[in-house]
Amino acid sequence: MDIFFLVMGMGLCILVLFVLYRVVYGPGVFNRVAALSAIGNKTLIILLIMGFVYHRVEMFIDISMVYALLNFIGTIAASKYLEMEGSIV
Amino acid sequence: MNIGTLLAIVFMVGGLFFFTTATIGLLRFPDFFTRLHATGKGDTLAVLLFLIGFFLYEGFTITGLKIVFIAVFMFLAQPTATHALSRAGLRCGVIPWMKKGDTK
Amino acid sequence: MIKPSDDIIIKTLARVLAPFILLYALYVIMHGHHSPGGGFQGGVIMGASLVLLAITHGLKETQKRMSEKSVAIFSSLGVLIYAGIGVLCLILLGNFLDYSKLAKLLNVPLAQARSLGILGVEIGVGLAVMAVMFSIFYNIAMGGKRSEKDNR
Repeated sequence: MDIFFLVMGMGLCILVLFVLYRVVYGPGVFNRVAALSAIGNKTLIILLIMGFVYHRVEMFIDISMVYALLNFIGTIAASKYLEMEGSIV
Repeated sequence: MNIGTLLAIVFMVGGLFFFTTATIGLLRFPDFFTRLHATGKGDTLAVLLFLIGFFLYEGFTITGLKIVFIAVFMFLAQPTATHALSRAGLRCGVIPWMKKGDTK
Repeated sequence: MIKPSDDIIIKTLARVLAPFILLYALYVIMHGHHSPGGGFQGGVIMGASLVLLAITHGLKETQKRMSEKSVAIFSSLGVLIYAGIGVLCLILLGNFLDYSKLAKLLNVPLAQARSLGILGVEIGVGLAVMAVMFSIFYNIAMGGKRSEKDNR
């Protein structure tokens, strides 16, 4: 079962590298924000898979929940900032 | 290798498949709104399938119930973030992609 | 001054999720010695929930629930709890923050007295961090002005 989790983790890491292309080359800022949200989703699953590989899932669950929260708040804050055309006041 | 572990493996492979197709969509679609379709729907479904697979692997312990909580939160929060981003894109005047010869 | 967003989906979801985020922050503070967490991390998550409310509902609405006076009171209360436990150990003929002297006061065994002392200190730290996080966000959003009357 460890080999299976390791293969899953490596596959997800390769997918993160592919999404990084869109973060660098995306024309405009909106494409970059959407790709960052996608990277955040994959990071959440990679954290949990690492918890299973080390046989200590209890340590990694709280961290992944906090990361999901911060990803959500960050995307909403970025979209609010872009909607106001660059100024908050 | 009981039935719970086999079901967990099936769900996780399905989650990996949906992650792959969402990434291919993010790279190859022609416009911002279509890419948002790919990453908003495909990624959310893949994360939910992965978390259900983890829950079936762990069983009904405290850790399994916490994984269910993360799944419920992702189910509520991720589509809202996609909706906020698409609204901001529409307000800021991102021009949608249209096929050649289409006037709508 | 952050204007409220005029979308009903985002406002409803922020309003539904904010109490659960606060509850999760309290869980992170309480389980500081079992799993990753502690005082500072829980305080940051509490501050993040207030920032979420401020972004979606506008800064004025959030100020009705957590005014500048409340922020000042909370931060001072956090430091008071921290220093108060330390001075309490000093009064009971120990060193500063020597939790073993609390065992006589609370009628518990020695190891449990130390654990309860650390828990009290973490709660103080969490309250202070939450107040300071929201105060920093508020000051940066207002751009240095004290209130809206200064705009004229």
